[in-house]
Amino acid sequence: MTQPRQGTEVLPSANPAIIGVNGLSKTYQSGSGPIEALADISIEVARGEIVAMLGPSGCGKSTLLEILAGLIPPTSGEVTIDGQNPRPRAEVGLMFQQALLFPWRTVLANVMLPAELSQQSARDWEARANELLGMVGLEGWAEKYHWELSGGMQQRVALARVLLLDPEILLLDEPFGALDEMTRESLDLEMMRIASDADKTVVLVTHNVYEAALMCDRIFVFTPRPGRIAGVVEIDEPRPRSLAFSTTSEFSERVAEVRTLLSGENIDE
Amino acid sequence: MSERTATKEPATDSRAAPTPGGDPGWKERAIGPIGAIILAIIIVVIGELLVLNGILNDIIVPRPTDVFTALIATFSEGFFYRHLWVTTLEVLIGFVVGTVLGFALGAFLGVSKRARAISYPYIVAFQGLPKVVLAPVFITIFGFGIESKIVMAIAISFFPVLINTMAGLTGVDPQARRLMRSLNASDWHIFTKLSLPSSLPLIFAGIKTGLTLALVGAIVGEFVGADSGLGYLLDVYSYQLEIPRVWAITTVLAAMGVVLFLFIEWVDRKVVFWQSQRELSTTM
Repeated sequence: MTQPRQGTEVLPSANPAIIGVNGLSKTYQSGSGPIEALADISIEVARGEIVAMLGPSGCGKSTLLEILAGLIPPTSGEVTIDGQNPRPRAEVGLMFQQALLFPWRTVLANVMLPAELSQQSARDWEARANELLGMVGLEGWAEKYHWELSGGMQQRVALARVLLLDPEILLLDEPFGALDEMTRESLDLEMMRIASDADKTVVLVTHNVYEAALMCDRIFVFTPRPGRIAGVVEIDEPRPRSLAFSTTSEFSERVAEVRTLLSGENIDE
Repeated sequence: MSERTATKEPATDSRAAPTPGGDPGWKERAIGPIGAIILAIIIVVIGELLVLNGILNDIIVPRPTDVFTALIATFSEGFFYRHLWVTTLEVLIGFVVGTVLGFALGAFLGVSKRARAISYPYIVAFQGLPKVVLAPVFITIFGFGIESKIVMAIAISFFPVLINTMAGLTGVDPQARRLMRSLNASDWHIFTKLSLPSSLPLIFAGIKTGLTLALVGAIVGEFVGADSGLGYLLDVYSYQLEIPRVWAITTVLAAMGVVLFLFIEWVDRKVVFWQSQRELSTTM
């Protein structure tokens, strides 16, 4: 059950793993003793794949994302990103649940932030920033400030910002989790289209089963505290998909599989 | 699942951007200023009547018209401007130096956790100290001239700037910091492009408090021992029982405080423009 429907497109040899996690554990030291956040995580993600890390709050999935982004070190185990140790770099883009737009910057200046921080000439990037704003449907909003934007629009700006330096890998920490259902769905589809078109590798952290099943090629289901991988569910449906996919029996079967894994019935397999 | 069976959801965001509210009309906007002027007239008339009818003794509380006459007389005397200049200089130098010092020290403490831990007991002690008690100390050290008042204004105005700068820098959204780190930002860039701008609203709140306090510091210093300045003049007039003159100088000091405050508030709105805009858009 942990690897259902093996063999169709799990890591074909032509697509070697761009993200490799082997026996990773993370333990935090707290006042009341050590807290084990992640235990014995092993994951491989192929180039161009969209995978979800799905689990309840506190299962350490966001911690895993921070480790992949190189923001915190693992306690033990091995992590490689494109053959290297994880560290913050232009090839890896991290996106959060909050848009985190700086209120003193215009929309355009917010999108340009990554280029500015990597000591690149801002002028070279202005055209690309404007192009990206057009791509996320915010043409004509470049000179506005974030308080003039709705929550969904703010998250679109954050999406344009993370895409600016054209990272190969997108690490998304519940990127649309704070938005209403309809806005989230439309942004999910857009994100999937963008990632599919540009052949990006995406790791999506979420606790929304439908979001994971709609967007992803594979879903890693996590157990609560400490986070372990309860199983992997593969969604065998070509991308980009439309919302119509969510009405198919394939979709509901996969959702049911994920739910079974989440309920913990198969953990002791 | 049932709610997800719709084949196509609207592709646009369900929440539109806030649009500016309608113009409330000039009448609505004029109520504040006009009401304030009417209130001032009522208070002045009541004061005038109370003194005229002998309910208040004009040796203790002067008639508003007497205060006005004294004010005109004061403005026509050359020595008034010398005292005005001295106090203005003390307040401005004290305020500017105090703000710069407060910001520099606050930024250092905001960035260095170790320095913060070491200086914490001293900050608490200094916060609890009523700073005006330092006036005699400074006058003993720096003399009766302008220097002791400047030091007094510095000592009293730098503290709120220090505290607020430190609070602003330590209160930066950790998630925004994480974003900066994921973008490979240097410590310097995290400071200049995130921590500092996001602290500016708090820093300016401290600067506003500091400005008012600089005036307090200079005047208290002049009360305790001086040979010039509006505080000195106030002291002299009250010894001579020139009560309308005392009130006239008090009015000048109040006006000075208001002008300085309005100026800083204007700078605040220009620099921290996003703060007032945000308030505007959430109240609409």
